Amino acid sequence: MEKAKILIVDDDPDLRRALNLRLRASHFETAYATDGFSAISMAQKERPDLIILDVGLPAGDGFVVLERLQQNAALSVIPVIVLTARDPQATRDKIMRAGAIAYFQKPADNNELMSTIRTVLSPAWPGTVAAS
Amino acid sequence: MSKQDNHVLLIEDNPGDADLIRLRLVEGKPNLDVACANRLSDGLESLAQQPPAVVLLDLNLPDSRGAETFRRVLNKAPGVPVVVLSGQDDEDLALKAVHQGVQDYLVKGSFDSKQLARAMRYAVERQGLLTSLDMSRKQQLQFKDQFLSHVSHELRTPLTSIHQFVSLLLDGLSGPLSGEQREHLQTILRSANQLRSMINDLLDASRAESGKTRIEPRCIVLGEVVRTAVAMMQASAREKRIGLEMGLDNRIPLVYADPERVLQVLLNLIHNAIKFTPVEGSVMVKVCRVEADPEFAYISVTDTGRGISPEARPLIFERMYQDPAAVDDSRKGLGLGLYIARELVHLHGGRIWVESQVGHGTILTFTMPLFSLPKLLTPIIIHQGKLREAISLVVVELAPHGTPGMGNWFEIRKRCLEMLQQCILPDKDVVLPSLGSAGPGETYLIVACADESGTTVLMQRIREQLERYRELQGVASFSISAKAVPLPWPQADTPAVKLVEETADRITEMCMAAMARKSMFDTTTVLAENQNPTQKEQ
Repeated sequence: MEKAKILIVDDDPDLRRALNLRLRASHFETAYATDGFSAISMAQKERPDLIILDVGLPAGDGFVVLERLQQNAALSVIPVIVLTARDPQATRDKIMRAGAIAYFQKPADNNELMSTIRTVLSPAWPGTVAAS
Repeated sequence: MSKQDNHVLLIEDNPGDADLIRLRLVEGKPNLDVACANRLSDGLESLAQQPPAVVLLDLNLPDSRGAETFRRVLNKAPGVPVVVLSGQDDEDLALKAVHQGVQDYLVKGSFDSKQLARAMRYAVERQGLLTSLDMSRKQQLQFKDQFLSHVSHELRTPLTSIHQFVSLLLDGLSGPLSGEQREHLQTILRSANQLRSMINDLLDASRAESGKTRIEPRCIVLGEVVRTAVAMMQASAREKRIGLEMGLDNRIPLVYADPERVLQVLLNLIHNAIKFTPVEGSVMVKVCRVEADPEFAYISVTDTGRGISPEARPLIFERMYQDPAAVDDSRKGLGLGLYIARELVHLHGGRIWVESQVGHGTILTFTMPLFSLPKLLTPIIIHQGKLREAISLVVVELAPHGTPGMGNWFEIRKRCLEMLQQCILPDKDVVLPSLGSAGPGETYLIVACADESGTTVLMQRIREQLERYRELQGVASFSISAKAVPLPWPQADTPAVKLVEETADRITEMCMAAMARKSMFDTTTVLAENQNPTQKEQ
């Protein structure tokens, strides 16, 4: 079976590195983008199975990225998990409305994050995932 | 000088007094524009239409007397300075008015035009000062909120880094660890988690203080929340070899509360209990009902810790309170947990209190309102003491086609609920809070005060709204059905409460049947296939 590919969009190099190590250890393939603009071009080039997206990004924040993804028929089917330091009370509803499937506040519980990723990538995935 | 600065509103019913005061006003300032009202209702209307620079207010009017009069005026125009005109014998009342926000008072018959002009000028000045003070207080609060939100966001970034790399090491993803290394890393992780919860508490406390905490109550099974909380705290209990157990009364009905907030309160209380209980003690979480207080569920957390002194008991819910007698180990944290817990409990309409015996332990108890369909339905079922003529239950079901893409499902369910809220008449119909749904779809229940034709109109409105909702197409299909609620026969001697209860019971039964997808609505009554959606009970 082919490895699932996950695109990590975050401007913090430490987070990208840590997440990359963890995802690869769990046998996922990874790709990066460091800003909103390259997030779209990477999504187009790599066609990931899942995107992990930060909200506060240079060159187009998480909302802009979600909007662009939605506008493109091929990209709109890619599930997006948002991983951000922002306060969920202020951001969570808006970002879910913009089309994300789960919201994690940094620092997130890795077990929960990984189990959400597995659920979303499983063929039987039905819709939104409950997450903190 | 703007027009408003010249405009004075005089509310006075005695024509003689009114003429005299008007004369005094114009003596002092000939270009003054004085509007007169001889009833409070006229005065309030004028106040809304053209806000004056000052209101001169007699307290005893044909349609309002005494304290009621100035309260209504202050309420209508909180920023407009008011000078009360009192009689010789009611100076006490006038003084009370000043304490409650009126700027000044004058005793009728004992002031000249100069005194009147000065009272008015000072009233305007003081009101201006108050307004600007209030504004700067609001700005400061807002600044504090923004500052805290910014700081907490910035703190999270390096904290995330610590958290991520320590967990990488602990999970063995960077090679094997010795026992001692593992122990040290666990200490770092624990401290990082503690920092994280402090940041959360700081934000929560600041929000509670500025009244911005939001709760979203739903019908929830309390036992499930308690089980989750106990499972989440089990690890830290085990570390101290503390037995953490729960005692659930299974007959507790649904409560009407925000599950995440109840969990937050419970985690807080259990965390405290574990913190203040010595090694090998025990912590017990109990849920029960109390006969004397039938509308609430009681949730208590009992520990075998050293207890709280009688002097400290009233203080523990205050912000930043730390027990001065606490040993070093227990003094970690900001002292915000119980403050936040109390605010959250109060927002639900519940209570929280402490009982303790020094040396033996502490019981913290809070209450959450039980979900009561009769309470929710009373204004729908009974109107002006009479049972409504017809009530129907409208069921809207969403069925997703296969797997909804891109997780729009969350958004769709929420949007649909908002649309339904817009379709109903708020004083006659109610969309019931979600009772959860079995399976992938969503079922909304609306209790409508409508007869057959009214129900058809409502269903049509819902249908149009949902059809117009473009995102729904291709993701889910919907069906709308309705059934008349059989009403009890109103007899002269049946008390209204009984009628409400009976009707609420029937509605509950019908809702349960609808949720369980039993055949209450056989397919022929579904609007999509049938022109006559409401079926009258024979």
